[in-house]
Amino acid sequence: MTAFLQERKNQILTKGKDSFELEGGKPSIAGSVSQRACVFCGSRVVLYPIADALHLVHGPIGCAAYTWDIRGAMSSGPELHRSSFSTDLREKHVIFGGEKQLYRALHELTDKYRPEAAFVYSTCIVGVIGDDVRSVCKRVAAEKNIPVIPVMAEGFQGTKKDGYKIACDAMASLIGTDDSKEVSPQSINILGDFNLAGELWILAGYYKRIGVQILASITGDGRVKDVRNAHRASLNVVQCSGSMIHLAKTMKEKYGIPFIKVSYFGIEDMSDALYEVAKFFGDETMMNKTREVVKDELSRLLPALEPYKKALQGKIAAIYVGGAFKAISLVKALRLIGIKTMIAGTQTGNTEDYKLLKTICDDGCILVDDSNPIELSEFVKQTGANLFIGGVKERPIAYKLGIGFCDHNHERKLALAGYEGMLNFAREVYETVTSPVWKLKTTHSHLLATHVNSALR
Amino acid sequence: MKKIAFYGKGGIGKSTTQQNTAAAMAHFHGQQVFIHGCDPKADSTRMILGGMNQKTIMDTLRDEGAEMVTADKVISKGFGNIRCCESGGPEPGVGCAGRGVITAIDLMETHGAYTEDLNYVFYDVLGDVVCGGFAMPIRDGKAQEVYIICSGEMMAVYAANNICKGLVKYARQSGVRLGGLVCNSRKVDKEWEFIEEFAAAIGTQMIHFVPRDNIVQKAEFNKKTVIEYDAESNQAKEYSELARKIIENQMFVIPQPLSMDQLEAMVVKYGIAD
Repeated sequence: MTAFLQERKNQILTKGKDSFELEGGKPSIAGSVSQRACVFCGSRVVLYPIADALHLVHGPIGCAAYTWDIRGAMSSGPELHRSSFSTDLREKHVIFGGEKQLYRALHELTDKYRPEAAFVYSTCIVGVIGDDVRSVCKRVAAEKNIPVIPVMAEGFQGTKKDGYKIACDAMASLIGTDDSKEVSPQSINILGDFNLAGELWILAGYYKRIGVQILASITGDGRVKDVRNAHRASLNVVQCSGSMIHLAKTMKEKYGIPFIKVSYFGIEDMSDALYEVAKFFGDETMMNKTREVVKDELSRLLPALEPYKKALQGKIAAIYVGGAFKAISLVKALRLIGIKTMIAGTQTGNTEDYKLLKTICDDGCILVDDSNPIELSEFVKQTGANLFIGGVKERPIAYKLGIGFCDHNHERKLALAGYEGMLNFAREVYETVTSPVWKLKTTHSHLLATHVNSALR
Repeated sequence: MKKIAFYGKGGIGKSTTQQNTAAAMAHFHGQQVFIHGCDPKADSTRMILGGMNQKTIMDTLRDEGAEMVTADKVISKGFGNIRCCESGGPEPGVGCAGRGVITAIDLMETHGAYTEDLNYVFYDVLGDVVCGGFAMPIRDGKAQEVYIICSGEMMAVYAANNICKGLVKYARQSGVRLGGLVCNSRKVDKEWEFIEEFAAAIGTQMIHFVPRDNIVQKAEFNKKTVIEYDAESNQAKEYSELARKIIENQMFVIPQPLSMDQLEAMVVKYGIAD
């Protein structure tokens, strides 16, 4: 295979063929055109869904435009998060410093929108010219009497994953600053669900039915007050471990709150998540309720999945997503509807994650860390995949190759979590894989070949 | 038109030497000179203009916007018809002065400030080549010749050596060359010999040894160059000599900066590291 760079040989393996362990968590190699985003973007996607906070990007307008409305993170109330405010730094500000501009912007925005808190994102250029963002935040916090939190996520610092960590630290500074919410003894924080297409509300429904209070949802449909009270929950339930594990660990250390890692994608993982939470509280009533919920949901879902399973039997999928936990869930969910995963990759998985992913995948499956368009195209051709599951940057790869695509990243407009989500997922996959449009692809190349042949003759 | 950049350790007398040389070029050798000050302190043209009252390019950019930065607005004429502009910069500790230098030079070029009738453009650059911005005058063929002002003091020689490292980096792509070292005497022991040996070691020349004379300070208090203050003085003749040598200079090299060990050895030899 010539499609990958030699330096990346430990980041690509075929299960059943290669004996080494896939290496994760490495910085991207220059020139590989990684599918990863930058540090700033990483911090932005994590904090973005906090709906009643002001999110101000201190930098040139492009940084704000790039992350404007970056997730389909829905809010049941305020929607201040959907505005991507920016200090719009120009050459003049680079030379003379952007602190005054930042100060003015913070004042103007806090006066106008009265947010519960403000997050100020530092960008590359701000890091280079050395604006003292922290002191400006401190000053405005004192003047406006709201938390103003600097998010020092200059893009050049590292990878998207570093941005997650910076965002977690920013949130940690907010946690424990309020005690006014009422807390039931059976309360959890949901970490790492971003309420894309209203997924959190689906999960909240299940948790309500088993009698668990969600104290803070971090950060889907998030509220500053909830985050400030989050230190009083009994358990942190972490999905998307890549982005939130750092916060879970911090909270365990600081407040002694234990955490469990779960996934809400697919029947097995969704059910496991509920059972794990019920088990944690050791409450028999709750466990019984959980059994009922699972039974009830499955009795509706399984028959509904049947027709899709029949139509999709034997199809092949390629997965390239942000974190490894999602990849693992997807492999299982696809298996349930008869689809075999032959490519499984992530942007931010670590070596441990990949060990687990490998055990779940079938022999012959290609596992890849921090991939790029050339590799992914090559793998799709090699494996004959009919379906690509990824995000906005993978969509064009799939379409150019003429195969189905399902958006499972932060832009998705369809809820894919929980039991309802599983049905949506099956329908979406079915629609894209069986779309008649893909027939035109072969006809087109066939026609082209005929034309070329006759022209040559 | 020849473009020259003056570099050197802060406080070495760079701006003083540069302005006196410019004045001598104009007064004794009939040259048309333009001084572009690239120090955020904006003190590269004070003695030519008789004070620091001109508006800098950065002031104009900040107060009126880039489109208002015209040649008329930011260029002033001083002694010997020398045209002067100052880049200026942010207040200390804020923003990026290096970017300011880049922007200022770009703006001057866009507005055609360096007109055809000029014989010399002088860039007077702050201290060291600390970042890409302060290397601007030696990038992309902006200045063709560099003169480093130094003295027999250890730190001045270290700085000169460092500036050479910056020069080497740009010499190949931009064609910039080192024209020589100007020793602005501090009256330290064996200064002449030391700088001559150092110059030879890095492959260049000590183009002139400017003796120390209080008249320089006296003229400076009067906001004048020595040439304007007393053109008949010995010191004025020294600057005239320096100006002549620069005009007639044929020795342009890519320097070979010394390693730290070599430099330390030389310092010890001249016994200045006491």
